[in-house]
Parts: sequence; structure tokens; C-alpha cells
Amino acid sequence: MTLVLDQVSKSFGGLAALSNVSFKVNEGEIVGIIGPNGAGKTTLFNLITGIFPPTEGKITYQGKSLLGLRPYKVTELGLARTFQNIRLFGHLSPLDNVMVGAHCRTKSGVWKGLWRTPSQRKEEKATRERAQTLLKLVGIEEDTDSPASSLPYGQQRRLEIARALATEPKIILLDEPAAGMNESETEDLRLLIKKIQTMGNTVILIEHDMNLVMNVCDRLMVINFGQKIAEGTPTEIQQNPLVIEAYLGREEA
Amino acid sequence: MDIILNQYYLQIAVFVLVNAILGVSIYMTLSTGQLSLGNAGFMSIGAYTCAILTVKAGFPVYLAIPIGGIAASFISVIIGFPALRLTGIYLAIATLGFGEVVRVIVLNLKVTNGALGISGIPTLGTKISKMMSSLGLPQSFGGLSAQQTSTLLVLLVLLLTLAFLVFFCTRLNRSRVGRAFAAIKADESAAEAMGINTTFYKLLAFALGALIAGIAGGLSAHLTFFIGPKDFAYHRTVEILLYAVLGGSDLVVGPIIGALLLTLLPELLRSASNYRLMIYGALLVTMMAFRPQGLISEETVRYWKGKLGRRRNQ
Repeated sequence: MTLVLDQVSKSFGGLAALSNVSFKVNEGEIVGIIGPNGAGKTTLFNLITGIFPPTEGKITYQGKSLLGLRPYKVTELGLARTFQNIRLFGHLSPLDNVMVGAHCRTKSGVWKGLWRTPSQRKEEKATRERAQTLLKLVGIEEDTDSPASSLPYGQQRRLEIARALATEPKIILLDEPAAGMNESETEDLRLLIKKIQTMGNTVILIEHDMNLVMNVCDRLMVINFGQKIAEGTPTEIQQNPLVIEAYLGREEA
Repeated sequence: MDIILNQYYLQIAVFVLVNAILGVSIYMTLSTGQLSLGNAGFMSIGAYTCAILTVKAGFPVYLAIPIGGIAASFISVIIGFPALRLTGIYLAIATLGFGEVVRVIVLNLKVTNGALGISGIPTLGTKISKMMSSLGLPQSFGGLSAQQTSTLLVLLVLLLTLAFLVFFCTRLNRSRVGRAFAAIKADESAAEAMGINTTFYKLLAFALGALIAGIAGGLSAHLTFFIGPKDFAYHRTVEILLYAVLGGSDLVVGPIIGALLLTLLPELLRSASNYRLMIYGALLVTMMAFRPQGLISEETVRYWKGKLGRRRNQ
């Protein structure tokens, strides 16, 4: 077990966004988090990555508490994320976006950058090559000099994944990566997520596309109104009456 | 020769270069997206530190100027810790307040001579011609007067300083630190989520901007023979900011072009000096309305690159 959430709650003012959610993630698995809009899925990501602290509860990664760590520290520890609403560095090139992701794994400071010392040049070259490999992995032509914001929507989503991968994460948290994608793009995404898993990463996926979730995830957690209502394999979840009720409503007797 | 190299023109060229250096200083702080109005304050710290060191402690100029810059940068780190928790307009207000605090302190300290200011600062020109003669070099070349030669050498020193700063900024932009700055400017919380210690890099940009402003202050103190608290008041801050507003703050050349235009413009408008501020204001309102990104933006460069590239290919 690498990531453990223990009785985590978060309230904004009087509004409970999450209450008593406990959850464990094993190394190397793809875990899906599903639930209706506003159920608290993104809030969960924000708690894990340190955007804001939980009101109550514990979050540990490899036995180490993540509470009180700033987001960049969490990323350094090996948890990277993408955003539901794309947050690329719009005016930078796709390559530069990915290279920013490598920031926490590289060292050169102002002085080395100014004089382009041999070690700095070596590091830059390695960073660039790795960024190019990642762009190729997610399927973006890297020769483009145009800003990231001018890429087609689907590519922007995949560029976010490449940028997160550049931080060399152990766990990657994807927040609705298939949003706005067509069927063939979603299929490419499914293959990409599988590939990320075979590269040795753990994947946590928030997604509304049930076809993708059921096909790619090893395990699912369902949240509704800030509470965990079910957990299990995709087939178990599909037959769970509570889940069916949350999605489709209760049958009138 | 004398028509081109008359003392008036040379003096304007000197001011253009000092202001261009100040333009680079505001570019630096803006490169992480922070609107700081404290640069005149940092300039003041640099200028006073440097002037006090040379006039009262007899330091050589070439040492005093960097020390002035470092002093400004040191203060910037101290005030930066609390101030950089603020963003946008709140940071602008806080740094504006800082500038005023510096002015009032300078006005009341004994060592700065209060409102009288510090006079009798050895000018860079005389220092340079003294150095020339001690090295056994002639004080003038090719029919130029001694004064013209020394002013030209001062211009050279300033030009080299500016060239180094431009070199510094372009190198920085294409390095790990520069990418971190650009990421913070684009989206601070996304940058933080990608593993960038945003506090550290914002503070770094702030301190580098203060360092450059402090050096510009030290240089300007040794160009004008006299400095007083009024030289570094609110209007100076606004002037520095306007270089970036007019020229654009995407690229380092932007504020430099802004400084060039805004230093030359008042001289050109000398005949209409009564209307100068009106023309100034009208110009800025026009800029805000039609080209808020400033004269030179990344698109401008991309556009011209594309155009020139196509011509070459034909």
C-alpha cells in the first residue's frame, strides 16, 4: 500500500465536501474514482496534492504523512497530477511545458544557467531528450514552436499528462483526462494509461467516461455527496445497487 | 563631429542607458508576474549606499556600485518574505508603500543628509579620465575634447553593463530557472503543482530585480554629482513601470525600447513642454486601449521571424 487516506474529511465553511473517506491504493494498480458531478472527486485530489489541507483525517504516502506539505513537496515525493480544467503554461511551447515538469528532478541554478557550464548543458540536453520522448509517448509532434494554447483540445489534455510524467512520479493523478475527447481519442488515451502503468506507475483516475473506466481500472471507488458509497472491481461496482441508485436514481415502488 | 557629439546629446544618451537598465530591473520582477512598485526604493538604497561609501568612506567607485546593488537586494529579501505572500494589486500597494518608507527614512537620517541630499559625488567621467591619465593614456582622442572622451567612455561602461544584463536575461530565459519564472507567470498554482518552489523563485526574481535597480541607482548617483530624496520618489517608480507598459514586458528588449522612447520623448517635446504631461498621458491611455501587451510582444517577434524566414526561403 503506497497511498493511504484515513477518515479524511473536508468542509468549506459549513459545507461538507468530503466526509470520512478512507481509501488505500496499492502500488502499480490503476484506480478509478467515479461519482456524479460535485461528489467531491477533485476535492480529494486537491487534498492529496496539498492544494489545501483536510479538515480531519490522515493522508500518508509510503508511511509518510502528506499533511502540511506544500504542493511542490508532494510532487517531489512522487505524486503528480493533471487538472480537470486544463492548466498548461499557455504561451510556452509544448516542449517547454514538459521541461518545466522536469524542474524538481534537475538542479542547475542561476549561475550555471548564465555561464552554461558543462554540467548545465548536459542536464539541459538530458531534460530536452526526455521531454521529447514523453511528447512522443503521448503522441504530440514536438517540432512545433507554437504555444501550447494553440494545440487542439485533445492534445492539450495529453500534453498535461506528459508534463506530469516529466516530474517522474510514482503515482499519477489524472483528473478527467477524457473530457471532451471523441471515441478514437479516448481509445488512444486508454492505451496511454495502460502504457503508463507498465512503465511502473500507479494511476489514480477521475473519469466520467464509464467505458474507459470499466476497461482500464483494476479497482474503483465511488463517491456520492462526499461519501464513499462503494469500492471494488469494475464488475462488482456495475452490480452494486447503491451505485446504480446514485447514477440512475431509485426505482419507484 | 561636435554637432553629433555635443554634451547635450551625450547626456541624453547616458540617461537613456541608465533608464534602460532600470527597465531591465522591472522586467526581472515582472518575469514571474509580480507587479512591484518598489524599484525606485531599491534604486534609492543602491544610490545612497554607493554615494555614502564613495564620498564619506572613500571607497573606489567600481566597488561601491556592486555593494549598493547587493544592499538593495539584501533589503528586498527581507521585505520580500512577507510582501510576496501578496499578489497583484496588493503587492503593488505594499511595494509602493515600501518605496515611500525608504524616501521618508532617507529624508530623516543624518548619514543621508536629509532633504539636502548628498552632493560632491565624484562623477564616473572624472574618475575614468583620472584613471586614464594614471595609466599614462591620453585624455582625449582624435580631435575630441577631454570631456567628450570621458563621456563617451562612461557611455561605453553603461553600454557594457546593459549588454551584460541583456545577455544575462536571455541566458536565464533559456534555462531551468527561466522556465520556472515563465511557468509561475503563466499559472502560479499549476507551477507549484509541477514541483516548483514558487516562493523561492518569486523571491529570487524580486531580489534580482532589486539588485539591478540598486546598481542602476549607484550608477546614476555617480553620473549626476548630486542625489536627493526627491530623485527616488513616487514619480520615479511610475516612470520605471511605464517603460514596461510602453515597451512590453514579454521580452527584455521591451522595457529597454520603452526606456529609450520615454527618455527621448520629453526631450523632443521640449518645445511643447506645457503639454508634455498631457501628451504622455494620452499616449498611455492609447496604449492601454489598443495594445495592452506593449509595443513588443512574443507575437511581434514570431511575426517578424516568420516574415523574414519566408523571404529567405524564396
